[in-house]
Amino acid sequence: MSATEVANKTTAVSVQNVRKFYQRDSMQIKVLDGLNLEVPQGEFLALMGPSGSGKTTLLNLIAGIDRATSGRVVVAGTELGSLSEGQLAKWRSRNVGFIFQFYNLIPVLNALENVELPLLLSPLSKRERRERAMTALRIVGLADRSKHYPGQLSGGQEQRVAIARAVVTDPTVLVADEPTGDLDHQSAEEILDLMQTFNQEFGKTIVMVTHDPRAAARAHVQRHLDKGVLTN
Amino acid sequence: MKFAPLILKHLRKNWLRTLSTVLAMAVCIFLICTLQTVVDAVNYGLHLGNASRLVTRHYVSLVFNLPNSYKNKIAAIPGVQNTTINNWFGGIYRGDMKYFFPNMAVEPEPFLQIYPEAMLPEDQKQAWLHDGRGCIIGRKLAEKWGWKVGDHFQLESFIPPYRVGKPFDFIVDGIFDTDPVKYPGWDLTAMYFNYKYLYEATGQRAGVGTITELIDDPKNAGRISKAIDAEFENSDVQTKTETEQAFRASFIAMAGNLALLLNGIGLAVAFTILLVTANTMSIAVRERQQEIGVLKTLGFPSGLVMALVLIEALLLGLMGGALGLILAGGAIHALPNVPFIGDVVSQFPGLGLSPKIVFYGLGAALLLGLLAGLVPALLAYRARITEVLRQV
Repeated sequence: MSATEVANKTTAVSVQNVRKFYQRDSMQIKVLDGLNLEVPQGEFLALMGPSGSGKTTLLNLIAGIDRATSGRVVVAGTELGSLSEGQLAKWRSRNVGFIFQFYNLIPVLNALENVELPLLLSPLSKRERRERAMTALRIVGLADRSKHYPGQLSGGQEQRVAIARAVVTDPTVLVADEPTGDLDHQSAEEILDLMQTFNQEFGKTIVMVTHDPRAAARAHVQRHLDKGVLTN
Repeated sequence: MKFAPLILKHLRKNWLRTLSTVLAMAVCIFLICTLQTVVDAVNYGLHLGNASRLVTRHYVSLVFNLPNSYKNKIAAIPGVQNTTINNWFGGIYRGDMKYFFPNMAVEPEPFLQIYPEAMLPEDQKQAWLHDGRGCIIGRKLAEKWGWKVGDHFQLESFIPPYRVGKPFDFIVDGIFDTDPVKYPGWDLTAMYFNYKYLYEATGQRAGVGTITELIDDPKNAGRISKAIDAEFENSDVQTKTETEQAFRASFIAMAGNLALLLNGIGLAVAFTILLVTANTMSIAVRERQQEIGVLKTLGFPSGLVMALVLIEALLLGLMGGALGLILAGGAIHALPNVPFIGDVVSQFPGLGLSPKIVFYGLGAALLLGLLAGLVPALLAYRARITEVLRQV
C-alpha cells in the first residue's frame, strides 16, 4: 500500500476539514469552509442546497478535477491532494465515473465510441474495449443504438450513454452533477432507476448533486449544503 | 492509433473547414515547391559552364556590342586557343513571342571546335560550314516543329540593329544532339547560325555581343581573363572577361536576385497561410473546450490532449503538403509546354520535382501544421477542467 493510500477501505469518500477559496481579482471567495464528509462504500448520497452553496465544488473535489485549498480529500483509499496532475488524471480514469447534467458526449463519436472513450486509456485490445462498451450499453438498454450519434438520440438516451461511459471502466465512485436537470419527468425516472441499479446491484458508491427532491429521495442519504457548510 | 478515429472524425465533421485549410496549405506548398524548383533549376544551370571557356563582353553591359576587331586581338593573347563570336539574335518565329526559342549567331567552324556539346553527323557539319544561310538546330527544337534537314524557316529579330525590314531566311543544315551524361544541361531547343549572314544582312552594322574563348588550361582562367581585359583597358570600349559559369550567373542576375524574389514570395505566402491555419485551429479548439474538459475529466492527461490537437494540425499540414506536391509536380511537368515561359524554363536542366524538394515541401507543410497547432494545443494543455466545463 503506497503512502497516498489510506487503510480504511470501507469509507469510499472522506472529506476532512476541507476549505476551498477562489480568487476573483483582489477578492477571495470562500466556497467551502472546513467541510467534513464521510461516504461509506456502496452508499448513494444526494447533495442538495441552493445555488452557490458549494455542491458542485465539493463534487469536483471528490471527483479529483479540482483541488482543495486546505484539508484532505481521500477517495477510494487515495489522498488526492498528494497526487500530481498526471497522477490525478490516471487516478480519475480508474476510480471515478462522472455523469454531467448536459451529458457532454462527444458529438463526432457514436454511442459505442463515446462509451469506449475512457477505455482508450487502458491497455485493453480494441476487441476487448468494444465488448466492454457494448456490455455497458446493453446494461443501460441502448445496445440497439450503439451506432447512433448524440444528435440522433433523445436527452434521456444521451444521459444513458453518458452513464454507460461513466461505468464502463468499473470505477469505485460515481459522481453525478444534476443528472436529471435537463430531462423530462419520465426520462429522469429512468436515469434514477439506472443509478439505483448501479448502486444496489453493482455496489457503486454514488455522490449526486441535485436540486430535485424526487431525485434526492432515491438516495440513501441526503445532505444539505449552505454557504460551504453541511447543515445536516 | 487508437485515438485516430477521434482525430479523423473531427476533421471529417468540419469537412468544409478541413477542405479549405488543406487547400490553403496546398496552395502554399505548391508555390514554395514550384518556385524552389525553378530556383534550383536556375542554380543548377549556373554550375554547368565549361571551365575551359571564357566569355568576353562589353564592360558596361551586354546591351552594348564590342568592335569586330577585338576577336583577332583576343585570339593573339597567350593561352587562348580558339575564339568565336556569339551574338544573341533575338529572332522570333512567326512573329509571335510565344514561339520563342534561343537563337544565336556564331562562327560555325570555331563554334563546333569550342562546343563539343553540339554533336552532329559529319555531313551535316560540312553542310553548315559551307552554307551561309544555314543553321543547326537542337533535337528538341526539330521535334517540336517537325523540322528536318533541308527545311526552311524564317525568324525576325526584335533587336533594332538586326531588324532589316524582312525576316531572315534559314535552312536547316543539321540537327544536333548531345551526350547528356557528359554534357548535362546542354540546350537542345537552341538554334545556331552563321554570324557572317547576320553581319552582311545588316549591312555590316552587326557588332559583336560576346566572344567565347577556349583556353589552354582552366587553371589559367584568371590570368587570361586579366590579360584580355588589360588589352582593351585604354580603348574606348573596355571589356569584361569571366568564366562561362560566372557569365551565366551574371546573365541571370540581370533579372535581379531571382532566388531572393522567388523565396520571398514563397515565405510571404507561407506566413499568410500559417496565420490562416493557426486561426482555423484556434477556432476548432475553442469550439471544443467542452470536449477538452470532458476528455480531461475522463482521465486523459493534458499532454495527450495537447498531442491530439497537434496531430490534428499535423494531419492538416500533411494532407495540404501532399496535395500541394501533387499540384506542383503537375505544374512543373506542364511548365515546359506553356508558351514562351516553357521555352525559357526548359533551358534549365534538371527541371523537375526532386526528392529534395519533396522532402522540403513536406517538411514545410508539417512545420506549418506544427506552428499553426502549437498555440491551440498549448491552450488545450493548460485548460482547467472546472473552467472549461463551467463555460458550457
